[in-house]
Amino acid sequence: MQAREIAPPKIKIQSPNPNVKCLTCKKKERNISRCVTCLTSDVNNLLKGLNRKELLEIADLKKINIPNNWSKQLIMQLLSLNITLDDIPTNKTKPVKTKKISDGAPIIVIKDLVKKFDDITAVNNLNLEIGEGELFSLLGPNGAGKTTTVNILTGIIQPTKGNAIIAGFDVTKNSSDVKKLIGVCPQEAAVFSFLNARENIELFGNLHSLSKKEIKERTERFLELLDLADASGRKAGSYSGGMLRKLNLIMALINDPKIAFLDEPTVGMDARARRKTWEFIGSLKGEKKTIILTTHYIEEAEALSDRVGIIDYGKLIEVGTPQELMEKYEAKNLEQVFLNITGRRILEGI
Amino acid sequence: MKLQALGALINVELKKLIRHPVNLFMNLLFPALLTIVFMFTFSDPELGMSINSVVPGLVVYAVIFLIMTVAQSFSSERKLLKRLKTTPMTSTEFIGSQIISNMITAIVQVVIVLVLAYLLGFKPESGFEGILLALPVTAIFALSSVGLGLITATISKNPEMGVGLSFLFILPQMFLGTFMPLTSSTQEIAKFVPSHYLFDALKSIFEGNWMNTNFFFDLVIISAVSVLIVIIGIVLFEKYGNT
Repeated sequence: MQAREIAPPKIKIQSPNPNVKCLTCKKKERNISRCVTCLTSDVNNLLKGLNRKELLEIADLKKINIPNNWSKQLIMQLLSLNITLDDIPTNKTKPVKTKKISDGAPIIVIKDLVKKFDDITAVNNLNLEIGEGELFSLLGPNGAGKTTTVNILTGIIQPTKGNAIIAGFDVTKNSSDVKKLIGVCPQEAAVFSFLNARENIELFGNLHSLSKKEIKERTERFLELLDLADASGRKAGSYSGGMLRKLNLIMALINDPKIAFLDEPTVGMDARARRKTWEFIGSLKGEKKTIILTTHYIEEAEALSDRVGIIDYGKLIEVGTPQELMEKYEAKNLEQVFLNITGRRILEGI
Repeated sequence: MKLQALGALINVELKKLIRHPVNLFMNLLFPALLTIVFMFTFSDPELGMSINSVVPGLVVYAVIFLIMTVAQSFSSERKLLKRLKTTPMTSTEFIGSQIISNMITAIVQVVIVLVLAYLLGFKPESGFEGILLALPVTAIFALSSVGLGLITATISKNPEMGVGLSFLFILPQMFLGTFMPLTSSTQEIAKFVPSHYLFDALKSIFEGNWMNTNFFFDLVIISAVSVLIVIIGIVLFEKYGNT
């Protein structure tokens, strides 16, 4: 069964049942909008812990941020019939006009990808498939080949060998089709310093041919979610590193991309801002976006990822869910997984 | 080409003109300062330079300094250009926005120079219609500045280098293509300098005899050379500069 797109609730909803557990991390979690332990924003996952009466009570609260076309009555009816949110199809996702992506098929297929810069092999025979709606993290030290891989997938650079298919389009031959589907948050904040946050976001909205209304609505929502609304009228040149990072991220997501490439999105942020950004990225999972995250922050990869690919010297050396990898290498965390495989720590670099 | 994207990019470039200190100074304040200084110091018939020859030269000066701002801007915004490449924006939209915004800038520069020169005593024989004719001619010439700016950005590793190298194209045009006195041999060299033709065309316009002179020949040369240079600039920057 396909996971359904449910926008995460904007407000916290306390479950009436104090014994509700998050089905992902098994921790007790009364806040059903999002598990604060594992950041799961899958509403249905948390709803599963409730009985029929409690479900009805929640529906009655009318606080779940459900798609607009779902009436309160419909929700109550469905819940009373024991039909969970997962079972309900939604038409909220903007249809991809160019090509239909078959259900269940991987949305990104990377085959024998090689990128050489003179005598340095930055990406070495990379093979990988990423499923639709998956949050996949590429984890590795600086210089491991994460950004180069993202640059190839987003059409910034051409591979030396091999190819990558995104949503059925070859990234080298059909890059214009790929660009309509993706949002890219580059490693270094790339914003116009003489424009304010709103103007920067608006520019990217216009480049993606969004309507004025769409741009305005999304800009307001994202600025609010990332605590940037108050500073949105100031020139980006006056922003702190963390604020620039947030703006960088919003500009990548303004087109509501089907696939988002987030290259080290939280580098340089303080702990609070990083936590906020993780929550924000976690909430995107609920919107059924495919997210490719590159990071060298262990906690980031562990907290957010469905699967992790460990990359070193341009080679993908291991792929799996964080849990699988930790079990396989009898490690407490992904840092230790990396250490067990390579004999080095991720933050030591290469 | 999507007009929405093109319009948004032009809007950004024009905001840069006003808000970016380097662009504001080089493109708007510098021509104004130059006009005031030159009108006071050089428009002396004893020096062989009349007001009528100084003013076209000042317009040329203003527009050739666009080379520097284009080079500086493209060299410093490589990260952003890379990012823009990940959006559905096409090269045509991007280059189109650069060309249009720089043409608009050139027109604003002509207006600044002519208004100040007028206030300081310049009275063109051509009247208002001559001024109107000077605007599109100068805007076409601005294409060559965009092209030379792109070529400079291609070979520059950073914005500082871009500013320095831009003088390779600015100085010859300043000294060989305007009102500076030339020897017979340098006059021959000047024929290979694009600004020479703009200066000549503007002079004809302001003297009010553009119908009877080489004006149309100058216009053809200006148009052909500017288009050629901008095409070379785009090709080189796309191939080698945008990395």
